[in-house]
Amino acid sequence: MKRITLFALAALFATNGYSFCGFYVAKADVKLFNKTSQVIIAKNGDRQTVTMSSDFEGDVKDFAMVVPVPVVLGEKDIRTVDRLLFDKLDTYSAPRLVEYYDNNPCYNPVYYDYAKSANIPRMAAKSEDMEMEKDKKNYGVTVEAKYTVGEYDILILSAKESGGLEQWLIDNGYKMPVGAKEVLDPYIKTNMKFFVCKVNLENYKSAGAVPLKPLQISYNSPKFMLPIRLGMANANGSQDLIIYMYSQLGRIETTNYRTALIPTDFKVPLFVQGEFGEFYRDLYNKAHAREGKNVVFLEYAWEVSPMQNVFCDPCVGDPPMVAELKEAGVDWLVSRGQDYHTGGNVYDGKVYFTRMHVTYDREHFPQDLMFQETPNKQTFQGRYILTHPASGDFSCDKGQTYLGDLSKRRWNELYTYQWLTGRDITTHYDYPKEYDIYLNKTEPKNKKQGSMISIGDIEDPQHPGNSQNNMFVFIVSILTLAGVFFALSRKRTAQ
Amino acid sequence: MRVNVVILTCLAVQACWIQFKTKDWTGLKSALVSAMSICLMLQANSIWTFVIAGALSIGSKFFLKWNGKHIFNPTNFGICLTVMLTGDAWISPGQWGSDAMLLFAVGLAGLVVLLRVKRLDTAIAFLLTFLSLMFARNILFLGWPVDFFFHQLNAGSLLLFSFFMITDPVQTPVSQKARLIWAVAVGVLAYYMSTKWWWSSLGSFYSAAPIWALFFLSPLVPVLDRLMKGEKFSWNK
Repeated sequence: MKRITLFALAALFATNGYSFCGFYVAKADVKLFNKTSQVIIAKNGDRQTVTMSSDFEGDVKDFAMVVPVPVVLGEKDIRTVDRLLFDKLDTYSAPRLVEYYDNNPCYNPVYYDYAKSANIPRMAAKSEDMEMEKDKKNYGVTVEAKYTVGEYDILILSAKESGGLEQWLIDNGYKMPVGAKEVLDPYIKTNMKFFVCKVNLENYKSAGAVPLKPLQISYNSPKFMLPIRLGMANANGSQDLIIYMYSQLGRIETTNYRTALIPTDFKVPLFVQGEFGEFYRDLYNKAHAREGKNVVFLEYAWEVSPMQNVFCDPCVGDPPMVAELKEAGVDWLVSRGQDYHTGGNVYDGKVYFTRMHVTYDREHFPQDLMFQETPNKQTFQGRYILTHPASGDFSCDKGQTYLGDLSKRRWNELYTYQWLTGRDITTHYDYPKEYDIYLNKTEPKNKKQGSMISIGDIEDPQHPGNSQNNMFVFIVSILTLAGVFFALSRKRTAQ
Repeated sequence: MRVNVVILTCLAVQACWIQFKTKDWTGLKSALVSAMSICLMLQANSIWTFVIAGALSIGSKFFLKWNGKHIFNPTNFGICLTVMLTGDAWISPGQWGSDAMLLFAVGLAGLVVLLRVKRLDTAIAFLLTFLSLMFARNILFLGWPVDFFFHQLNAGSLLLFSFFMITDPVQTPVSQKARLIWAVAVGVLAYYMSTKWWWSSLGSFYSAAPIWALFFLSPLVPVLDRLMKGEKFSWNK
C-alpha cells in the first residue's frame, strides 16, 4: 500500500516566503499563523493543476501543511516548482504605477510613457512543526499513499471521522490548531482526501538548505474551489491570498462571494512613487473595508495566449513565456513548429490569466471559495498614474494657464489620494503649490493660485470598484418602483 | 448602455407583436420587467448577446405557449438559452454579494408584487424546500457551522430568483396544489444540482442552480395544468 520514492533535488533559489491555503500544524508551542499565501491554478476542463506557495519563515523542521484534495494523488501528480515562477507572475500582474510627462506649453513637446516596476510588500509570517510515521486502524485513518517529492515527505490520508483524523495527526506529532476538528468533518464527509506534508530534512540539507520550493499538485475533478476554511483554524485575524489563474475561456470569478474590481486608473500625486508599496497596501485595505470585507478583489485579468501580442499596457514585468505557462500547469498549448523569422517555437491555444486578491477571516468567509470560468474577456489591471509637470520656462500666457491647471490637478490628485488610502493629506498641502514660484508676479489671479480651492472645483474621483454594485442598486430601485407601480395599478383596475 | 439595449430590444419585440397581433399595449410593461431582470442576471461580452437574450425572452412569450400560458418564464428562458447557445454569456450569481440593504429591498419589492399576483405560495414552497435541504446537508450532515448556511441564504441572487423569477403568474401552474408540487420539485432539483453537479460547461451550478432547475422543469407545467385544473391568472382581474 505504501510506496516510498526518493527524488533527487534540483537547485533551489534563495527567496523568502511560504504559507498555504491549508493550515499549519505544529509540535512546539510556537505561535502559528500563515498570513500571505499564493496559489496558481491552471484549469483545463476538469484537469486542474494547483501550485501553492507561502511566505513561511522559520525552521523548516517546523513546517507542516494539510490541504484537502478531491482525489488520491498519484506520485506523478506531485512535484515541486521553482519559486521564481511566483515572483515572475507577481511582478508581471501586480498593481502598477505608471508615469507620464506633461509638455511645456512654451516649448516643443517631448513625450515619454513607461511603467515603473512596483512590487507590493506582503505581511510577514511564521509557522510550525511536524513529525510522523504511523498508521493505526482504530483511528479510521487510511494512508492512501506516501511519497517523497523534492524536500517534502508527503502523505495522502483518507479518514472516516474528524476525531480519528485529529487524533492520528496529534499522535503522529502534529500540533493541531484549536478549531481544526470542526472544519475537518465536512471535508471527510464529502469524501475529500488530505494532502499532508512536512520537510524531509535529509533531502532538504542535501539540496543546500535553501528556502522551500512551492509544491504543485494535479488532479481531475469538477470541483473548482479553494479550501480556505481549513486555513482559518490557526490564523490570527485575517490572511491574504493571491490567486493566479490560467484558463482557456476567459476570466474566472467567485460564485459564492462578490468579485469586486480594485479601484484603478487614478491620477495620484508624485510622492506616491517613493511609497507605492505602502500606498497600494492602504488602498487595498480601504477598498476591502469599503466593500464590507467579504469580497474577492480582481487585480488583473488579461489574455496571455502565446499568439497574443499585447499583455498589458504598460507591462511591469515580462509577460509569461510558454515555458513558464507550462511550468504553472498550462498543458493545453500545442506546438505548431518553428517560427520562420525567430526560430522559436510557435504555439496554438488560448490562455486567459486572472489574478485575484482575497483577505479572508472566519467572520466574513464562512464558505470555501467556489469559482467558475466565464467567457468574460474584458481586460483589467490595477493602475495608478503619475503625471510629471513640464519643466523650463512658463512665462508665456499658455504657460501661466498651465500652472493654474497644474495646481488644480494636483489638488485633485491629493483628494483622490485621500479617498483611496484614507490618509491624512494636511502634510501635503504644499504639493499643489510647488510650481507657484513660476507664476508671473503681475498675474491678477496670483492670490488664488495654489491656495485651497473649494471642494466644488475638485473632480469627484470615480469609483470603478463600486460602479458595478451601484448599477445593481440602481436597477433594483427601479425594479422596486416598477413592482410597486405595477401592483398598485392592478389594484386600481380591479376596483 | 447594456441596460438601454436590453430594454429597447424587449420593448421593440413586444411592440411588434402588439402591433401585428394583440393590439393590447399594456403588455409593454411586462416587457420592461423582463428586460430589467435580464440586466440583473445576465452578463456578456458583446452587446449583441444582450440583444439575443432580450429577443429570445420576449419571443418565448409568443411562440412557446400552451393553452394561452407561457411554457417558460421569459427571462429564465432568455438567459438560459443565451448562455447555452452563444458561448458569450454567463450568469454571475456572486455579483450580488450579501449586502443587507439590497436584500431587504429585493425582499420587500418581491413581497409587494407577490401579494398582488397571489404567488407567495410558490416562492415560499421553493425557498422552504431548497433551504431546508441545504440546511440538512450542509449543517446537520456535513457539520459546517451555521453561518455557512446563512451565507447561502443571504445571497442576493437567491432572493431575486425566488421573488421575481419562479413566481411568474402567467407561467406557474394554475392550481395551487400543482404550484406547490412544482415549486418543491424545482427546489429539490436546484438542491441536487448545486450539491452534486457542481460545475458544468454552462458555468457553476453551485450558486446558479435554481435558475437552471427552473429552466429544466418548466416544460412540466403544462402537464401539471392538465392534471390539476385551476383558475387561469389574468392581469386584469
